[in-house]
Amino acid sequence: MFSRRLFEHGAKVPPEQKRLTGYRGAINEALAEEMARDSSIIVMGQDVGKAPPFGVTVGLLDKFGPERILDTPISEIVMVGAAVGAAIGGMRPVVEMQFGDFLSCAIDQVVHQAAMLRYLTGGQVKVPVIIRLPCGGGQGTGSHHAQSMYSWFVHSPGLRVVLPSTAADAKGLMKTALRQNNPVLFFEEKILYRTRWEVPDDYASPDFTIPFGKAEVKRPGQDVTAVATLAMVHYAIEAARRLETEGVSVEVIDPRTLAPLDMETILASVRKTGRLVVVDEAYLSCGIQGEIIAAVSEKAFHDLKAPPVRLGNPGVPVPFAPTMEEAVIPNIDKIEQAIREIMAAS
Amino acid sequence: MPKVFARQIFFDTQMNQKTKIEMLRRMLLIRHLEYKWAEAYENREIDGIPPSIGTGQEAVSVGTCMALKPGDFVFTTHRGVGPQLAMGMDPNRILADLCFKATGYNKGKSYHVTSMEHGVLGMGGIVGAQIPVGTGMALAFKSKKLKNVAVPFFGEGACNEGAFHEAANLAAVWKLPVIFLCENNIYAISLKFEEFIPIKSIAVRAKAYGMPGVTVDGNEVIAVYRAVAKAAARARRGLGPSLVEARTYRLAGHLCDDPGYYRPREEVAEQWSRDPILLFKNQLEAEGILDKGGFEKLEKEVREIADKAADFARKSPHPPAEEAFTDIFA
Repeated sequence: MFSRRLFEHGAKVPPEQKRLTGYRGAINEALAEEMARDSSIIVMGQDVGKAPPFGVTVGLLDKFGPERILDTPISEIVMVGAAVGAAIGGMRPVVEMQFGDFLSCAIDQVVHQAAMLRYLTGGQVKVPVIIRLPCGGGQGTGSHHAQSMYSWFVHSPGLRVVLPSTAADAKGLMKTALRQNNPVLFFEEKILYRTRWEVPDDYASPDFTIPFGKAEVKRPGQDVTAVATLAMVHYAIEAARRLETEGVSVEVIDPRTLAPLDMETILASVRKTGRLVVVDEAYLSCGIQGEIIAAVSEKAFHDLKAPPVRLGNPGVPVPFAPTMEEAVIPNIDKIEQAIREIMAAS
Repeated sequence: MPKVFARQIFFDTQMNQKTKIEMLRRMLLIRHLEYKWAEAYENREIDGIPPSIGTGQEAVSVGTCMALKPGDFVFTTHRGVGPQLAMGMDPNRILADLCFKATGYNKGKSYHVTSMEHGVLGMGGIVGAQIPVGTGMALAFKSKKLKNVAVPFFGEGACNEGAFHEAANLAAVWKLPVIFLCENNIYAISLKFEEFIPIKSIAVRAKAYGMPGVTVDGNEVIAVYRAVAKAAARARRGLGPSLVEARTYRLAGHLCDDPGYYRPREEVAEQWSRDPILLFKNQLEAEGILDKGGFEKLEKEVREIADKAADFARKSPHPPAEEAFTDIFA
């Protein structure tokens, strides 16, 4: 469904896709528009100026100059730490981790400093830092370049965790992130960078924002609720299309932000369908899948017609080889299979 | 407390007598307020992590902070009362925070006593974490074209954290207005300096980052002041960061209940002869700035402030339970 060739440059856009909007470009647009509007926004990261590996920040150096587009040394602790300090000092830094996995080098600055300083100072400081995190597998990039680590940070108080699955979501959520005052982890799925999407009519509006904590029903259905994020949203939609021919109606919900998490939309759906499948690339143990199922179990246990099902990485470092990687990460077939099973169980 | 704040005092080389007296007064205030904090713990009035007091290190805080100007920012370690008082914060509210009382700057929510208005960000829960954050404040100053400086305090123990190395390199390569203020008190809990750093001084590391580094006697308040003033002037001119190593000695335990088994009592006793307050008192008496009985008068005045602060903290209420659920998000 998606290209495995992450680093391919200059790939041609098929003519039928030309009128659509790119995921990567949507993030770039959000940054450029907001930077033009708000001079306190700066972008920091490795190679963000001259040679952004995934191209998200292309052109920003020319537009905004080296004082606002800052190429950093390979120093994740100080990239995040300095962004925290600059944010407290009144700036709005957007930090790019070259791969989201590298945030592990700077965990203290994220979970103790960015996330807790406001609380610890009794609300005296604001820390509007955005950390952009290319994430996810499916492209043979291996264990240190393909994880989906958001569950780590949803676990940690004081952070906003954002996961856009389309161009419109990417732009709208980034604009919201740049207009609010909390630390945000902005997970971008690498496999989506080269994808192109339909956008709503108001997409081009300067104030096109999408609120945090508002899930979207990406495909309405009656029989099964499938909750998914990032690329898995599109896998779930494809699985739903396949099952539709067999008369199974699947509702696909994308929470879009995991912190805050819009449980209302998910609960309303489960109360209607009585069946829940949660699919995500995150590791299963203590993962977001389990959190969503727990929350549904607390609030809508008696509406469930079958035990909820979770799909995810079962606890394997994401492998390099495509055969092994495919075995570890959920895909369309596995989602289809899970939905068939939950239908059979009730 | 008289309203003479560090940041309001401006002078360069010729320090006036009033300023010197104020320096001594602040050093005394740090000592006595910290004693009150430790006392509160020892008397079981408060619990939590035993107080980390900086007896013997007062000259580092006062010398540094009094060399700063309005708008400058300091970032404290876990031994933060020194810089807090030296930057002119209210002793009552500082002690209230340290006793987890609602009347503190942080509403009793942490030891990380902060006052944005005074340019103090209380940190220190994680050793060295304040160094990148301070560096980031300097980035904000530079971005906004302000002539201010950011001063992260840290110990010699923190110099082995990656956070220090990354921040020092970034500040140097971006020429950020940072003063890396290493408060070398010789002990990182039980380990003595030479047991974890194979070089004679922290300041020599500065060369590796391409910034000036200087070691000063951290028990000589004027020496600290001059080194920081020089580094600050350089930073304000856009020439980048400096590393100042203020060599001092932790006369107190790591925490106030520290029995100190890791160092000979004689060593500590000998270091008391270099008590920075004593040294400065002698100097001011020799210079004729402090007359006979002047020191005692100052100490009495400061003790009263500390007593009042203890009383204020004691009588203040804990934050209400519902306060726990506020200030998580802006």
